[in-house]
Amino acid sequence: MALLEIQDLRVSFQTRDGVVHAVDGVSLAVDRGRTLGLVGESGSGKSVTALTVMGLTKHPNASIDGKILFDGGDLLQISPAELRRIRGKRVAMIFQDPLSSLHPLHKIGWQIEEAINAHEDVSGQVARRRALEALKEVGIPSASDRLDSYPHELSGGMRQRVMIAIALVLDPEILIADEPTTALDVTVQAQILDLIRVLQDERGTGVVLITHDLGVVAETADEVAVMYAGRIAERGPLESVLEAPEHPYTWGLLQSLPRLDAPRTERLHPISGQPPSLIRVPSGCAFHPRCPYAFGICPQVVPPLLVSQPGHEVACHLPVPTRRGIGREVASKEVSVG
Amino acid sequence: MTNTIRRTAPRMTAGLASVALAGIAVLGLGSGAAGAASHAAKRGGTITVLSAGDVDHIDPGEAYYSFTYEITYATQRTLLAYKPGSVNAVPDLAASMPKVSPDGRVLTVHIRKGVRFSPPVNRAVTSADVKYAIERGFDTSVANGYVGAYFGDLVGAPTSPTHRVPNISGIETPNATTIVFRLRHPSGVFVGALGMPITAPVPASYARPFDAETVSTYGLHQVATGPYMIKNNASGSINGIGYQPNKLIELVRNPNWNAKTSWRPANADEILFKEGFQDPTVMTRQILSGSADVNGDTPPPPAELRSLLSNSADKKQLVFTPTGGSRYIALNTRKAPFNKLAVREAVAYVLDRNAMRLTRGGPIDGRIATHFIDPSFKDKGFDQAGGLAFNPFPSANFNGNVAKAKQLMKKAGYKSGLYTGPQVTMVADNTPPGSNTAEVVAADMAKIGFKVKTISVTHTTMYTRFCNVPKSEPNICPNVGWLPDFHEPQTVLDVTFNGKNITSSNNSNWPLLNNPSINRAMDRAERIVNPNARYAAWGRIDQMVTRTAVAIPWLWEQYPTLFSSRVTPSTELWNGGSPDVTFMAVK
Amino acid sequence: MTLYIVRRLLWAVLMLLAVSALTFVIFYTLPSADPAALRAGRQATPELIAQIRHSLGLDRPVYDQFFIYMKNLVLHFNLGYSYQNNISVRAEIASRLPATLSLTAGAVFVWMLIGIPVGVLSAIKPRSLLDRVAMGASLVGISAPVYWLGLVALFLFASDIGRIRLFGGAGSYVSITHDPRAWFSSLILPWFVLAASFAAFYARMVRGNLLEVMGEDYIRTARAKGVSERRVIVRHGLRAALTPVVTIIGLDIGILLGGAVLTETVFNIPGIGRFAYDSIVNSDLPAIQGTVLFGAVFIVVANLIVDILYAFLDPRVRY
Repeated sequence: MALLEIQDLRVSFQTRDGVVHAVDGVSLAVDRGRTLGLVGESGSGKSVTALTVMGLTKHPNASIDGKILFDGGDLLQISPAELRRIRGKRVAMIFQDPLSSLHPLHKIGWQIEEAINAHEDVSGQVARRRALEALKEVGIPSASDRLDSYPHELSGGMRQRVMIAIALVLDPEILIADEPTTALDVTVQAQILDLIRVLQDERGTGVVLITHDLGVVAETADEVAVMYAGRIAERGPLESVLEAPEHPYTWGLLQSLPRLDAPRTERLHPISGQPPSLIRVPSGCAFHPRCPYAFGICPQVVPPLLVSQPGHEVACHLPVPTRRGIGREVASKEVSVG
Repeated sequence: MTNTIRRTAPRMTAGLASVALAGIAVLGLGSGAAGAASHAAKRGGTITVLSAGDVDHIDPGEAYYSFTYEITYATQRTLLAYKPGSVNAVPDLAASMPKVSPDGRVLTVHIRKGVRFSPPVNRAVTSADVKYAIERGFDTSVANGYVGAYFGDLVGAPTSPTHRVPNISGIETPNATTIVFRLRHPSGVFVGALGMPITAPVPASYARPFDAETVSTYGLHQVATGPYMIKNNASGSINGIGYQPNKLIELVRNPNWNAKTSWRPANADEILFKEGFQDPTVMTRQILSGSADVNGDTPPPPAELRSLLSNSADKKQLVFTPTGGSRYIALNTRKAPFNKLAVREAVAYVLDRNAMRLTRGGPIDGRIATHFIDPSFKDKGFDQAGGLAFNPFPSANFNGNVAKAKQLMKKAGYKSGLYTGPQVTMVADNTPPGSNTAEVVAADMAKIGFKVKTISVTHTTMYTRFCNVPKSEPNICPNVGWLPDFHEPQTVLDVTFNGKNITSSNNSNWPLLNNPSINRAMDRAERIVNPNARYAAWGRIDQMVTRTAVAIPWLWEQYPTLFSSRVTPSTELWNGGSPDVTFMAVK
Repeated sequence: MTLYIVRRLLWAVLMLLAVSALTFVIFYTLPSADPAALRAGRQATPELIAQIRHSLGLDRPVYDQFFIYMKNLVLHFNLGYSYQNNISVRAEIASRLPATLSLTAGAVFVWMLIGIPVGVLSAIKPRSLLDRVAMGASLVGISAPVYWLGLVALFLFASDIGRIRLFGGAGSYVSITHDPRAWFSSLILPWFVLAASFAAFYARMVRGNLLEVMGEDYIRTARAKGVSERRVIVRHGLRAALTPVVTIIGLDIGILLGGAVLTETVFNIPGIGRFAYDSIVNSDLPAIQGTVLFGAVFIVVANLIVDILYAFLDPRVRY
């Protein structure tokens, strides 16, 4: 039984312009000690999925259906008080921009201690000691001084480490990382991803790593799920998906990655067209307006998510052999092994 | 300063009750009635007077404002003074009326015995104290505003202000209780001037150090001779104690006042003048509720007056008093086009005096004026000026006569009957009702083609920077008027229309009228000692001035005084209806 | 930080100098009453007026008068004497300061007590009935002229002329040392009238600030940590939303200490604001100068305190 299992989650928002179908039938699972990479463009629904797990999308205008099973309970059904006990303590989340995600007017130590005090009744001394420990664990130098620093006094990488410290100080079972490296320098990116992996190994935390960058996923994930327009396009074990991706969107993602070893004169290959409106989602397969391989049935029928290889599910109308063929070719060109 | 005319001490005839103003209830106070009634009144208690502004000067030698007089005459004993219902001065500090020599140039006054200064001076008042009081008025550190006009003709009086208190040889003190005034020319009005505050005694040795300062500080250390004194400390200073500028003036009993020497009853133990009440409606209601007793310087507004008059109980607490003066529109005769008589006459015809009076509340505010001596003067000039019948620029209902005005314009050379020259300027009050009056004037003048440019400024700016300064004076000063200093027609005509009184600054002859025959008539009339002849002369002068249309009178104003039901009313007819706190009593 | 304070104080002195000079210029260029003529009274001769002008020092060139004034001020702390009644301006301001202080302190207390909670509640439940009523009422509070509001308050609640006789009416102010109860009763209506527009403004401002802050990322983080919503609103939301409000409060206090003219006028409270108004009407230059300078000092000091305070409240701002 997976640690966290999302079953057929649907989240839509009533807005002035119409109903936004942010998440349209998403099912995911995360296991202990494993990393699920959730990939997609902005607007694909990945963040909304994550926030819904945390219970942070509840709103009079929001309509949420489905199940989010965690430790035998459905997070969508339990009381707000119970949910709050889980949030931050057993399921934690870190966000994209650590500068705006940390309170600018409170010291770092205070912000970590607050996370502790929200769930445990400990003395100030104990909380402070644990905050110090947390800073050390995420590799912050002069940790005891840093307890009294303010977020703006730290570099971007340091701030993200602090966020990780806050998220992990209570040893949660699940960590959701929403684009944790997008706002950071490339060199720092690697450090942060490394850190997450080290801590995960130490504690057995299940990690959901949300990103639009396939490169990041390739480094860290065990499983990959590709989302498009609020639906899962393709998911499966990392090797399987990277070796033979089977969804035209995934191919597009791979091909659009700029490569250091490509000739300078070679042009980039972005996916043609615009990301879809989530209010007026294209009929049938949401990707069909941008898909170079779209044919007859694509605009008419929503492709179901079906198993193609063991553990590898794809939602596409193209015949499997065709998909695999193209996929392998794309992979061989774009994915470097090693 | 809510009255647009700077109020000085006007005096009214005793026959007020007979002046029938339509629909107005008047509390008939005969000249003796107030005195008799209040001697039987209860003693004790505190009377509270509310005012918007402060006194003009707390020093009795500088005071020249009807509100200030409410305090001055309660604390100082002038040679002559006035009972509430009277406009005829009677001896107060003086033991009897002055004896005038046959040629009218020497006046002898004896002062009462037993009058003493309040603490800390304490000693008896002598004639030298009266002499010093008048002399200090000529010193620039005191700078009395009327001493030149009424006492300047004393032998030895300085012709320009002096830097120290002058010794005026024309004021002789042969003994401690006798004063002899010697004038250069006979005067009919000098006796009236002996009722002004400058004649209240000031102890020379005590006051000199204060008067030696650039601006005299005697006012802040003044002593009293009247039934009340401004509360002071042991060394005599009232500053911050009985006199808190713009906040409070507190009068307490003068321990050295001898009731047997005075006809003032002085019933209340304490009188508080609370200042700073800007809103006339709030003030009126406070008086009605009894939390205060009378208005000191602000009349109840027309809306409140109307509701008061419709209630029979409230009506009894309201007293209307003619101010004795008039409001008028002054036309600058030194500049075109108002240097032409026909044009001025046209303006006199076109103005709708009814509309102008409405801006101040309508008939409640008084009678529409047709010349300058007001009806309360009766046979002291009003009748002699032709009374109500003298109306050289008549129109139906006083609404103005546009046709006649146009006729006169044609006579002046404007073929169409409409003015065709450049625009004319007017400097007016920037707050109602003065601003509203000015608007009516401008609108009326437009009917005969005048384009009027209005400059709106504060009341004091209007006077001191524009209308009082001939060089800067505009074509029209619509918010002017004049009150008599005492009950003599000279006091409403001489300063205001005699060419010799035009000054380069602080001028009160706003039309800048300098008519040789009128000037001559006035100079002659000033010297007439015989009252009947004098009043006949001034009555004629009133007619002459009115016919020149240099100033167009439009209101003989009356002033409403509202008393709370906890006090017995008493108003000073001689002071435009101000309350007389020495005669009031707490019931 | 010390260097910063020193620098600001030097600038403050310079600014006060400029304010004094500007007051002089305005007084002499704009049409106002002639103080010498006012003092001389009616029928005074031109010679007399000239003498008075000389004795008041008004016939000297303007820069000369200014120099003398500044010399008196800086060397002797002497603010001159009123043209009207020869009272020491400094003494008069000192005697009126307690009234203005009373009025300001109470009004600040009232508007904070009303404005901030209303703003917070409106922000927590935006577009609710409470929010709409509060914001509507605040619009009235801001738009209603203070003088009118004062009159309405008097006609409704004044103990002498009101429909319901509750609180001290116009002119009932006494000093707190004289009679604390009467002092308090006389100030209730003025406090609420003066506070009305400020409370309204602050409610709207707090509402706006808090709404904006509650949409920030760090609020999301706080919730993600499992912090209770109340704590999120107070320790995270208000902490950030109220910081700019503190600076504005400081500035408003500084301005009000220079005198709330309209409130002091309609309720006849003998404060500095009223003194300033009376001085202007009477063209009393020394008194005008005194009150202007006084007000300027408060504003300058308030500015400085508020800036320093802000540095303590917001660690990102450092001097």
